[in-house]
Amino acid sequence: MLQILVDAIVLGCSYALMAVGLNMVYGLLRIIHVAHAALYTLGAYVGLYCLYHFSSSLWLSLIFGAIFSALIGTLMYRIIYNPVLTAPRYVPLIAGAGVFIASQEIFRLLAGPYPYPFNASFKFLSLTHSHLRITETQMLIITFMIGAFLCLYLVINNTNLGMMWRACTQDMELAASSGINVNLIIAVNFMIGSALAGSAGVLMALYRNSVFPTMGAMVSYKAFVVVVLGGFGSIPGAAIAGILLAVAESLLGMVPLFNLPREAIAFLVMVLVLMFKPKGLFGR
Amino acid sequence: MRRFFSIAAIAIISICGLLSISAYAQETVKVGFIAPLTGFAAADGYSSLESAKLAVDYVNEHGGIKGKKLELVSYDDACQPDQASALTRKLIENDKVTVMISGSYSSPSRAAAVICQQAKVPFTSTYAVHPSIVEAGEYCHRIGMAAPIQGRTGGYFAVRELGAKRIALLIMNNDFGVSLAEALKETAIKLGAQIVYEKKYPLGETEFRNYLNAIKAADPDLIYAPGYYNEAANIVSQAREVGLKCWLMGDEGYDSPKFIELAGAAANGVFITTDLNRDSERPMTQFFLKNYKERTNIDADMVGASAFDAVMLVSHILNKVGTDANKIIEYWDTIENFEDCSTGPILMFQNRSAIRPMDIQIVLNNQFRYFYRYYEPEVIYLNPPSGGK
Repeated sequence: MLQILVDAIVLGCSYALMAVGLNMVYGLLRIIHVAHAALYTLGAYVGLYCLYHFSSSLWLSLIFGAIFSALIGTLMYRIIYNPVLTAPRYVPLIAGAGVFIASQEIFRLLAGPYPYPFNASFKFLSLTHSHLRITETQMLIITFMIGAFLCLYLVINNTNLGMMWRACTQDMELAASSGINVNLIIAVNFMIGSALAGSAGVLMALYRNSVFPTMGAMVSYKAFVVVVLGGFGSIPGAAIAGILLAVAESLLGMVPLFNLPREAIAFLVMVLVLMFKPKGLFGR
Repeated sequence: MRRFFSIAAIAIISICGLLSISAYAQETVKVGFIAPLTGFAAADGYSSLESAKLAVDYVNEHGGIKGKKLELVSYDDACQPDQASALTRKLIENDKVTVMISGSYSSPSRAAAVICQQAKVPFTSTYAVHPSIVEAGEYCHRIGMAAPIQGRTGGYFAVRELGAKRIALLIMNNDFGVSLAEALKETAIKLGAQIVYEKKYPLGETEFRNYLNAIKAADPDLIYAPGYYNEAANIVSQAREVGLKCWLMGDEGYDSPKFIELAGAAANGVFITTDLNRDSERPMTQFFLKNYKERTNIDADMVGASAFDAVMLVSHILNKVGTDANKIIEYWDTIENFEDCSTGPILMFQNRSAIRPMDIQIVLNNQFRYFYRYYEPEVIYLNPPSGGK
């Protein structure tokens, strides 16, 4: 039982890392950033490239994966979303979906349709006990997620940048008129969210030992469910909802006569939450 | 004067065009081919198209079809049934293909089969296993192993050869996984085994630890997990990680060197039912394995082998009886012991599905190796003779 919980929490961490980027974008711009999952795949491929061409160390892959995703994510905002921000809200949604679908085919054209193994070497804590076993990779994912969220929390609540960010989420025009560089804040916002998606990509590629063009598909809608569950715009909500969803999926999947696949459980939970708490569990 | 020249020029160009089209049409026999070259199944589409091209080159180097060149006209169906049916129409009506081959999964193949049956164009699926594909009618055939046969072979091997009494099923939730699992389940129960766990998972799933922990609690002798190698690699490595020590058995969907690459050492000891025997010394098998690797720089898989065989078989038929659709399907059902293929040999066609000896392979030292072969009619026939065991 404990083992199942630990496995579920690791999975939940990957959901949460993806969802937080989505949520930050929604909180600021009120758009649903569907192309976010493309950055997850991008991170994994960049990490893979480092692994094959520079060094077999995981850390380099992780850093490069995050940096590249951050850059491309910010570019994506400048090129795709920025011109359509004033358009009706379905326009950026459709633009994002288009980018996501195109990205899968671009990865396929560049790297081929076959999955690649991700054999990175690294040393980390692990735990082996007769009832509980946490592998090095699982430990790394949990630590990374806790670290990332702590940093984010500290930055948002204790720095000038965080204050400006909070001001922008409340009223962007007012923030702009009080001298906050709104464009910079949006860019930083995309950079952080995309870096988290990219590093989630590298970590999950390591966990699953595979990188392939359509690896973002499942993650994209799971992250979306997590955002709805946690409440649009709420960052701690995303973290808690990610883990809750993974635990719910794992436990319900164990019930013998409950013959629904995992993705059905995710959406069922989403429908229930929307029915009774339309703003999400932690929505403002 | 200028006008005269322009009219003359147009006339000359169009005559040349017509001549070249008709000359071209006389020179080739067209075979239509659909495969998923984009989307989630792009890897299988690539294997299958490259293998089909390899077979076309082989046929053309060995005399073509009665002196004419064999031409492959291929389109990308993205593994979508609606695209498959539109493209099949296009291949039949615009490209005027003589025979249609589907290098795609079960659902697009089913869609294409129905169109070919309506248009009375001979059709064959390659590695798609769903029983209903050939049920579209007398124009539709199957080169690969039908799900009932493959699942049944798995059942016989699990219960009779491995002695499994308690079987757990972890099933990919699509035509492929479900039809295989149903066949294995029926056979296993008939042979006296018990199904102790049964669960479906969606295509693209990567996290199996919760299913596997539940399976561990059910304490099976064998896990049968029909699906494709991407998911299978995760199942197998996570099964070993959670400490499952029972037999693991899969299907032809595992039959790709990528499975071993992704699953790593955990792949060792996994059994699969397949029709590509890499240890076979048959010249066509070795020709296919060697030339596919040279052509693509990737090791061959079962999907490619089926597509290769489909083109080889179709060209054999076309060479025998010409391009008349009715003669083709009449001859198709009478084929016996067809050796010019990388799998098999194909013993015959029963209900328009290929019947061949069924192979069990095992992964040893990170390679697929030959393990066991069934010839018994009660295992390998689509409709086993009654009165058997």
